[in-house]
Amino acid sequence: MDSKGSAFGGGRGGKAPSPFLPASLLLLACAVLVLYPVAFLLEESFNVGDPQQFPAAEFGLDNYRAIADDLHVLGNTAEVAAIATVLAVLFGFSLAWILTRTSIPGRALLERLMELPYYMTPLVGALAWGILAGPKTGFINQVGHLLGLSGDLVNIYTPFGIGWVMALFEGTVAFVIIGAAMKSMDPSLEEGARVLGAGKLRTIFTVTLPMVAPGVLSAAVFVFAEMLGAFAAAFVLGIPGRFFVITTAIWEATLSYPPDYGRAAALGLSLFAVMLVTLGISRRITGRGSFATISGKAFRPRPIDMGRGGGWLLLVVCWTYIAVSVVLPLAALLLTSFQRFATVVLSQSQFTLDNYATALQMGTLGLAFRNSLLLGFCVATIGMLLTFTLVWIVYRSRTPGRGAFEYIGMFPQAVPRLVFGLGLLWAWINIPIPIYGTLWLLGIAYVTVFLPLGMRTLAGVMLQVDASLEECAKVCGAGWLRRMRTVTLPLLRPGLAAAWLLLFIASVRELGVSIFLMGPNSKVIAPAIVNSWLSSSSELSAAMALLQTATVFAAMLILFAAVRRVSGERA
Amino acid sequence: MTPPGIEVSGLAVRYGDVPAVQDVSFSVARGELVTLLGPSGCGKTTTLRAIAGLEQPSGGAIRLHGRSVFDAGAGRNVPTEQRGVSMVFQSYAIWPHMTVAENVGYGLRVRRLAREEITRSVDHALGLVQMRDYAARPASRLSGGQQQRVAVARAIAFSPDVLLFDEPLSNLDAKLRAEMRVELRELQQRLNITSLYVTHDQEEALAISDRVIVMQGGRIEQIGAPEEVYNRPGSRFVAEFVGSANLIHGRLLAPAGGTVSFEVAEGSVLELCPNRQPRGDETIVALRSAYIALAPAGAASGANTLRGRIHRRMFHGDFIQYVVACPAGTLIVRRPPTELFAEGADVTASFAPEHCVLL
Repeated sequence: MDSKGSAFGGGRGGKAPSPFLPASLLLLACAVLVLYPVAFLLEESFNVGDPQQFPAAEFGLDNYRAIADDLHVLGNTAEVAAIATVLAVLFGFSLAWILTRTSIPGRALLERLMELPYYMTPLVGALAWGILAGPKTGFINQVGHLLGLSGDLVNIYTPFGIGWVMALFEGTVAFVIIGAAMKSMDPSLEEGARVLGAGKLRTIFTVTLPMVAPGVLSAAVFVFAEMLGAFAAAFVLGIPGRFFVITTAIWEATLSYPPDYGRAAALGLSLFAVMLVTLGISRRITGRGSFATISGKAFRPRPIDMGRGGGWLLLVVCWTYIAVSVVLPLAALLLTSFQRFATVVLSQSQFTLDNYATALQMGTLGLAFRNSLLLGFCVATIGMLLTFTLVWIVYRSRTPGRGAFEYIGMFPQAVPRLVFGLGLLWAWINIPIPIYGTLWLLGIAYVTVFLPLGMRTLAGVMLQVDASLEECAKVCGAGWLRRMRTVTLPLLRPGLAAAWLLLFIASVRELGVSIFLMGPNSKVIAPAIVNSWLSSSSELSAAMALLQTATVFAAMLILFAAVRRVSGERA
Repeated sequence: MTPPGIEVSGLAVRYGDVPAVQDVSFSVARGELVTLLGPSGCGKTTTLRAIAGLEQPSGGAIRLHGRSVFDAGAGRNVPTEQRGVSMVFQSYAIWPHMTVAENVGYGLRVRRLAREEITRSVDHALGLVQMRDYAARPASRLSGGQQQRVAVARAIAFSPDVLLFDEPLSNLDAKLRAEMRVELRELQQRLNITSLYVTHDQEEALAISDRVIVMQGGRIEQIGAPEEVYNRPGSRFVAEFVGSANLIHGRLLAPAGGTVSFEVAEGSVLELCPNRQPRGDETIVALRSAYIALAPAGAASGANTLRGRIHRRMFHGDFIQYVVACPAGTLIVRRPPTELFAEGADVTASFAPEHCVLL
């Protein structure tokens, strides 16, 4: 144990081999895991010869020039992203303002419920809204017909519909960013204006809004970048009408015959570049606007009393958002999943449990569900241990290259999931290890794309634990393994539990990477839902989507319970 | 002759391109308590952590009880856990997920001692810091002072060769700090353990040390017994950082006979008895504010007296601080609270030649 201890201990043994060797090798391996697929993508985007050939024989810019033919796709993407951003920021701002600055009843519960849409996943939301607001058969339109309307009330299979569904589930993200900006504003800044003689309105316009503006702007830019790379809603609601955005165009180019990998890679990298620039802008705004959030301390600004009527109105706004984004979709899925043919006209409906039986039976679908759970457990466990080790190396050791890895490890975050999936597909097809089409490949891919999630979660807790706690164990004579076992790991337990559950949730709902890497013998749940939707069985898809959502919600409940227990212990 | 407990020679530590510690050499005899004193960023904590093996020096050598634990030339670097040192951290570093007894017994468990022996040593160590009653308590439920005691008990429980203190009292309030100072010194002398103590508090350093090492800018300014450092500061920095000193500007007169004369403004001449041969180009004399006597104007005259007027009087409780305007400059004078002079009064300040230190 002690020899291992010195290996990570940070001492240089002169002529002995560098003690950083194991740590350096691990960093290098993970860097390769992350950068190798992107390198492949880059190579492929310049490949103008046979797209299936590796390494490419001819290089050129044709794939990038061809983007000019896809201008309508770019236009579609911008349109959908813009609609989604406007709506999401509108939702996020209203909710954040109501929940941080007004005194409505049940604020704490509402704040917690606001997290639900995020865990719903856009795929499930898009399916549900397809059932709710599809033309003719959509529940809302069925109700309209019952009431004697001739035409359709709503049609979700439109750019606005896609943007609406995206915004419902991204609204949470905007809510969190804007809410943080509002919460971290020191109330004394406003009080200062009041003391100097400014009235309520003047204070709002000269102090409050300028302080919150960077938060709102940063949320808007961030959401826009996310929406450019969003896949699920555009896929479920766009493909039937052959309305393509960049991500779905990439999917189509890859799965068409013959596959046009070059076009997909060029589109993907362009999307990546645009997203990177946009995210950079978002970060700059946050950085420059940091005067609003400088203390990093959470304040509870004095709530504005809205009076009885106003309070009720705001309450209705909050609950409407929850209803539209969570309750209504889940109810629609639930109703559909128990029927042979989806309808809200209960007299016509035939109830059945067949859809669940099909979803869970030993066929491919049941297998997909079990595969997803298996992957979830393995990826969460391995990912947690791996990211813990990486975070420890980056923040607690003096291994050379740890600073660079802090960025490399976060890299998959910046690449649209679907684009990264494409790179992974290419990278692993061309490697002489026969794991393509197996769960192993999916496992490796999940660990790679979830590195940022695990590292961010664990870095947060690692930085809160004072380094001297570990140094003291070292001074007391404990080697590396013993220090980890007796001091560091026990202290990080809440963070490790959170990281495990977040990785589990992320694995179970993964779509963008799985859709490329899933093989006939390695089906997983999210792409299986998509496939069943494409073969137009909304009833079966609904049952599967509900099973997936139930799994995610169960994991989430455990997460909340664990966090509450730990914070209770600490208090 | 037995080798000293700690021997540091030519130590250098760099953070990137920035030198944090340069050419630091000193030794600590067995059973001695030596303090590294200096302002923040002077390299004192870095030096301490290099001895513990928590920082990687770029040059020099460290020997503990004659055993080389670091030697840049020979490429030798013994990892922290094998150095046999112990340390009390500024943050105490008490593990919140263990009980008090588990914290204190950690070093003993690492050394795989028998269960009874661990129990006995933990009990003994807790007894030394008067924390025996708290053994079973979760360490997260301790006050700051109690955590401090547990940290000390944990550091001494496994009988280390060398004990390192990294500003152990800086997080306590002033009253508790003064009490713990006495206790730590008594404990260290009772156990006769070689100790190196880091602090930025000059009062603390003077009070508990056998010897004080004053550091600045990564280098050692002066090493000496507390009285020596206080009475005979070796540099302007030491004079100003340790205690309160007046700096009087002037020039040396040509030596005549055994005494050294120093001319200040307006022709007043001070007589000094330096403990070293003057170089001849010195322009500053340091004078502790506690060593200046005040008398009503005209009462005293002769050598080493300066005329002045009380510019400001500040009552501090334990002493009164006067700001005295003299032709030679402003003097800060500290007198017992019994010696009262009115603001604006004309006074004569006088001091002994041996208290004038030529810098």
